[in-house]
Amino acid sequence: MRDMLEKIKRRSTFIDKVNPITKISTGLLMFILVVLMHDPNQLFYLSVLMMAVLIILSGVRLKYLAIVLMLFLVFGAFSAMYMVLYGAGATTLFRFGLIHITEESLVRGVHVMMRGLTLSFFGSLVIFTTRLTDVFYSLMIQLGLKPKFAYSFMAAIRMVPIIAGEYMMLRQTRKVRKPLIHKRHVSGLKGFITTVITLLSQSIRRAYRLGVAMEAKQFDDGPRSYYYETRFTPYDILFLVMMLVIVFTSFVTGSTFSLIGVTDAR
Amino acid sequence: MERKRGLTLTDVLITVVIGLVFAVIYSIWGAVYTVLQPLGLHLNELVYGMWFIAAVVAVLILRKPGVAILAEFAAGAGETIVTLQFDAFLMVYALLQGLAVEIVFAFTKYESTRMMTAVWAGIAAALITLPLDWFYGYLAEVAAWNIILMFTLRIISGALIAGVLAHLIYQALRETGVLKFVGSRNMKHHEGL
Repeated sequence: MRDMLEKIKRRSTFIDKVNPITKISTGLLMFILVVLMHDPNQLFYLSVLMMAVLIILSGVRLKYLAIVLMLFLVFGAFSAMYMVLYGAGATTLFRFGLIHITEESLVRGVHVMMRGLTLSFFGSLVIFTTRLTDVFYSLMIQLGLKPKFAYSFMAAIRMVPIIAGEYMMLRQTRKVRKPLIHKRHVSGLKGFITTVITLLSQSIRRAYRLGVAMEAKQFDDGPRSYYYETRFTPYDILFLVMMLVIVFTSFVTGSTFSLIGVTDAR
Repeated sequence: MERKRGLTLTDVLITVVIGLVFAVIYSIWGAVYTVLQPLGLHLNELVYGMWFIAAVVAVLILRKPGVAILAEFAAGAGETIVTLQFDAFLMVYALLQGLAVEIVFAFTKYESTRMMTAVWAGIAAALITLPLDWFYGYLAEVAAWNIILMFTLRIISGALIAGVLAHLIYQALRETGVLKFVGSRNMKHHEGL
């Protein structure tokens, strides 16, 4: 995971040094804020500013960033579709059978899409600037998460590539034995269950073995010292101030320079 | 080895790994759901139940308190890692859906492995996020027949995928014999390694 992150990183920024707890709590606050925002103008500026922060401060190569942004926009557009096509409203723009596009539903659809985008931009900023190990160490040290949960998560995440590899192997085996096995074991419901069972049973076996070994090595609860130390630093304050400024700016610009006349998407 | 009540590290590890296997499936499923979305008539809701399946499968396997929430959270967290976006929204949903499954199994004192229990758990998980969806997606503004259709399809999906399919997976998994490693039923099976 870390290698992959280093491959796409161009430079490191101060956000790398912010404590993961700060970033995750800010993420939860952002979620609440975005759900409570009903003015599409303000939300538009917030999403644009978050995109700018992602581009400038994530430190990821622009090539990868472009792909990520494209995906977000495409998925966002898809998720806005049902509201645009079926939402209720008074001013009709287009009507075809069950599809009924109104001005209100269009605004609302775009609003829901911008909500998703704002959260996605912030979310990928966190992902691109945080090492997974630090998240769990920080949860243990700063928030007192029980070590058995933290170490289980860290160990399990290392198994994901093995699971993926196993799946690829399974696919290749099936390709080789295609003439010998019945088609229903490969595709459809039966095929799905067969695949899941193979992956699950192997993973449970591996997890059990690893679990016994880790319990023997006392990766359990109890007083312990930590290999990595995480702490709160002035960078956390800087990060919080930056987020406050962004939110404040979007509120002010949203109410001063309105792009559309609608101030409430409801 | 003395058996402790509650979750041991091995239990937690197995639960998280089950969650992460499903996290990979969830991520692929996200694409299926999104592609079905513009078709309209909420046909995409028919696949929604897949997102609770980790909780049901894990709690059927381990049958201990807290497993459903943990598995669903691991699956949700894993999904955000696989798709490279940290999504607070998704985490909240995962926790709530895990909680719904947890409540249903708590009623049976974590003893039942019947298919009906799994079906009820799937339905509960489909229902629990209704208030959040209502608020986040402005569903009050969508035509009423559309909302009813959406939630009917979602409940059917919860019952079929998270209920019946999860139970089929559990049965097949029991036949593989791998479950003797798991849980508190029988502790004399270390030789299997």
